[in-house]
Amino acid sequence: MSSLKADTPFQHTGRNVAQLMQTLLYALLPGIAASLWFFGFGILINIVIAITFAVLAESAMLRLRNRDIRAHLSDRSALVTALLFAIAIPPGSPWWLVALGILFSIVIAKHLYGGLGQNPFNPAMCGYAMLLLAFPIEMTGWHIPNEVINGPLTADALGIPITTAEREFLSPLGWNGFKQALLLAFPFAASSATDVKEFVDGLALATPLIEFKMAGKSALLAARESGASLFARDSETAWEIINISYLLGGLFLLYRKVISWHIPLAIISTIFLLAATFYAPGSVAIYGTPYLHLFGSATMIGAFFIATDPVSAATTRPGKLVYGIIIGASIYSIRVWGSYLDSIAFAVLFGNFCAPFLDHYCRPRIFGHGLRGKPRPTDGTIKP
Amino acid sequence: MLPLISHWLTQLIIGAGLLLICVYALQKIYQYVHQQLGIQKSLVTRINRALPQTQCGQCGHPGCLPYARAISLGEASNKCPPGGLETILELAELLNEPVRGLDPAHGQFRDFSVAVIREDECIGCTKCIQACPVDAILGGPKLMHTVIESECTGCDLCVEPCPVDCIDMANHIAPSLSQTTPLYFATHNSLGVST
Amino acid sequence: MSALKQFAAKYFGEDPVFARRTFGGIQPPTFKEHSLRSRIMSSPIPPQLTIPIGPGNSGEISLLVGIGERVLKYQKLAVMTFYAEGRSEVPVHAPTSGVIISIEDSVVADHSQQQQRCITLASDGHDEAKKIEGQPDYVRLGSAGIVSKIRDAGIIGMGGAGFPTADKLAGCGDAGPEFLIINAAECEPYITADEALLRERADSVVMGAKILKQASAARRCIFAIEDTKPDAIAALQQALKEQLSIAAFCELVLIPSKYPAGSERQLIQCVTGIEVTTGLHPTENGVLMHNVGTAYAVYEAIVNGKPCISRFTTLCGQALKTPKNFEVLIGTATDYLFELCGIEPTNKQKSILGGSLMGNELTSDKAVICKTTNCLIAASANEIPASAPEKACIRCGFCADACPSRLLPQQLLAFSRTSDTTQLLEHGLFDCIDCGACDYVCPSHIPLVSTFKESKTLIENHEQSLLRSDYWQHRFQFRQYRIKKEKDQVLSRKKEVPEQPVQIAEQAPNTQNNEADIISKEQASRDIAAAVARVKARRDEKNK
Repeated sequence: MSSLKADTPFQHTGRNVAQLMQTLLYALLPGIAASLWFFGFGILINIVIAITFAVLAESAMLRLRNRDIRAHLSDRSALVTALLFAIAIPPGSPWWLVALGILFSIVIAKHLYGGLGQNPFNPAMCGYAMLLLAFPIEMTGWHIPNEVINGPLTADALGIPITTAEREFLSPLGWNGFKQALLLAFPFAASSATDVKEFVDGLALATPLIEFKMAGKSALLAARESGASLFARDSETAWEIINISYLLGGLFLLYRKVISWHIPLAIISTIFLLAATFYAPGSVAIYGTPYLHLFGSATMIGAFFIATDPVSAATTRPGKLVYGIIIGASIYSIRVWGSYLDSIAFAVLFGNFCAPFLDHYCRPRIFGHGLRGKPRPTDGTIKP
Repeated sequence: MLPLISHWLTQLIIGAGLLLICVYALQKIYQYVHQQLGIQKSLVTRINRALPQTQCGQCGHPGCLPYARAISLGEASNKCPPGGLETILELAELLNEPVRGLDPAHGQFRDFSVAVIREDECIGCTKCIQACPVDAILGGPKLMHTVIESECTGCDLCVEPCPVDCIDMANHIAPSLSQTTPLYFATHNSLGVST
Repeated sequence: MSALKQFAAKYFGEDPVFARRTFGGIQPPTFKEHSLRSRIMSSPIPPQLTIPIGPGNSGEISLLVGIGERVLKYQKLAVMTFYAEGRSEVPVHAPTSGVIISIEDSVVADHSQQQQRCITLASDGHDEAKKIEGQPDYVRLGSAGIVSKIRDAGIIGMGGAGFPTADKLAGCGDAGPEFLIINAAECEPYITADEALLRERADSVVMGAKILKQASAARRCIFAIEDTKPDAIAALQQALKEQLSIAAFCELVLIPSKYPAGSERQLIQCVTGIEVTTGLHPTENGVLMHNVGTAYAVYEAIVNGKPCISRFTTLCGQALKTPKNFEVLIGTATDYLFELCGIEPTNKQKSILGGSLMGNELTSDKAVICKTTNCLIAASANEIPASAPEKACIRCGFCADACPSRLLPQQLLAFSRTSDTTQLLEHGLFDCIDCGACDYVCPSHIPLVSTFKESKTLIENHEQSLLRSDYWQHRFQFRQYRIKKEKDQVLSRKKEVPEQPVQIAEQAPNTQNNEADIISKEQASRDIAAAVARVKARRDEKNK
């Protein structure tokens, strides 16, 4: 016989918040691995810095709020916030940027609103949006994947002939790549700071979305047609592979019933429909193909991991669908007609704004009630 | 000519449609306002509803309604011991006043209790019957009296007039009325008593 | 093939009866095999029975026996009258022969576990029965005859609600409901009483169902049972096949197994597709539902003439050596039953009354079995670990997906914490059936159902007090109206009629006082003097 609970009802599934968060962390792993493969160590360093500061901030806030630190830290919600934040910001960001963002997330967006369960906005996205508004240059410095840290293609493009040995030496996953990533994150440690600065400025190119927009055609298809390996770091397929990895992680979450299908499906189908409606072959590249919109940017992380954050999302089934539609429409609108290049954060925050009233107005019909859902007749003056 | 007619027809249909929508909306708004006005009862009624209706007179007024009138004219709202903390809070919210503790000059909070007559000591003087505000005491001159438990409001008013001190207040669970009350109202509203 | 049939029924409107998917629900692991290993143990007679007769807060008891009296088995001991949707009378019978030794309050193992008035009967071991008469040809009794016999037998709903069966039948009206559903769905993970009953006595249950169908004039009788109980289904099918010849025909519907499939309204929707309107009784929507235990009791009452003196109760839990089902006499103490199952007192951590999901902790070992006690669990220490600490609600919505009433427990929780009555009512707090599915899935271990129960009590109490104050106000105004009317009458009488004759008429008997009157007057004045003296003495004491 399995175990009973100590109070009514005496049985329980045995699933708790910590386990849900743990599953979420596992589901993020394929995406992180893909990012690591294409971006190099920058993302790992982001994650380490974010987790360190998140745990410190969480402990400090719990201490200030007189909560049991161990019990609350063990729910792993700070880890999830840190991880989502770390994969959202560009790899190779300086440490203070990461630290500032995660401190804002944990301290202001989460704990000042009352801690886990009380925050009306997604903490990770709050931190991200704050950074985007305060440090637009640093935050839009997405390096196109193969050029992250003096990648081989850059050298090619600059007209410097490189040998295979040099190519390997300069690989983002090599020791040198790690050193460069560390230097990017901790600029003060560089022996010659000017080198690094030049290096960063030179490589802060456009975001992948723009890059893909210009290209117009799916890079994945192009890579396959040209016979290039899909996992080669210079085949421009990076974002697609990363998105597919996150999609797999998201499907794993669905399978484990950590999230419900409503929000991801609503977001993805809304983006798909909007993109399919506005895209015309040969038109200006500002309207991308549906494929580009779904796989050319952070759409999958947004749809499966960020928008589904239960605390700040709508919780009723119809509400979740409307919430997903709002977020999907916002993502597309901001990307295409807005001035920000990617828009998951703002779209999710906008969705969070709507969540409380969605919960109120999009209620399922109560069993045995009519469609209007008349409440139990009673005197309106009751106040216990 | 034909295009002009069709143009006018279109205009007419659109206009009529808009007009209908406007009329419908106005009707809805009117209904809503009407309903809201209906809900807003007079202040005295609302105060009276917040009072416990024990009719005990501990506030110094003969009954709850007179006290409600007095409150609406500015009297302190913390003179009702049987209402308990609930009534004080509700009245403070209703009148938009700060919450004040119960005025000790008018008694103290106490659990609900009903009057019980020690029947072997009763001499049948009918004084308590005259004092009872809700006709909850049964009996005749020189005959034993008794309190109908389910009718008693616990107002205490019968204790004082009893010449032989044979009435006690005993703690009791407040009676549950859901079964009998609708029946009562159904039969007595026909008597023409206004509630 | 059956799937095809269901499809046809669903899409061509051929037959409304088939198992539908219902909303929400959970699938907890079940522990039924333990108590199903052994057969039902029939009516052990304990040395002493404490038979509950008190109807709780609202109602009266009329005792038919006194202390010291010897009673026979099946003898009527008392009639309790209570008010639930009208006046109901339920007689209580002696489960065995013996002597009544006391009548006092005792804890009863029902949902509220409150003190109730009980008759204590010391059994003499002879089990001497009063002569009873059965009526196997129940059709001859007619509908009214069956109902009155059921009322006389003191049968109440054995499923747990405990509503008198006769009143439920009488509430159907003359036309009768479209469906009579016999509820054999037992979704609580531990309870097997109904399953065991069907496995061993399906014939009698089917017979009981037919009697119920006759009494209620229902058009169709449907057995609803979960598809995970092969033994019970086979027994039921066999019984149905054997009794096919009788005019009254019963059908069998297999429903998907989940909790709470056995809840009345959910089962009705599952089987017939009718969603019973909130606030209405199922019979008002043309469905009548009875438990299999009730059907068996009805069979016993009509065919064998035995009143309801026992019920089927499951005893299980790790602290018991031989968990099993009992046909237990009403009034048996729970510790007696536990001992019969070989309880290991050192191993027992907690006793649970009812199932593991809807039950409560048993507060007293001396509690007695009443007509609604369906299960007792003696849980061992490693069965119940320390409860997980409550954490913050993360609004995951698992509870909303599990709620069979399609409520939003996460929203209700927030409104309960702020006591927002208007919102609580709008979100359907009173549609909560306390099934505990939300608690079961909550990853934050929040006691949702207890919170909702508290809110319900609060709101109900407040409504009660408002109702009460309305009533008092009305009484007060009526008194004033009465006094005024009397005054007016006196005034008008004074105007119309000369005063003298009236006074003469009133004084006439006074002038002719006889001796008895004088004596009684003297007596009265002496009494008054004595009373005044007593009061004076008491006041003096007080003053001292």
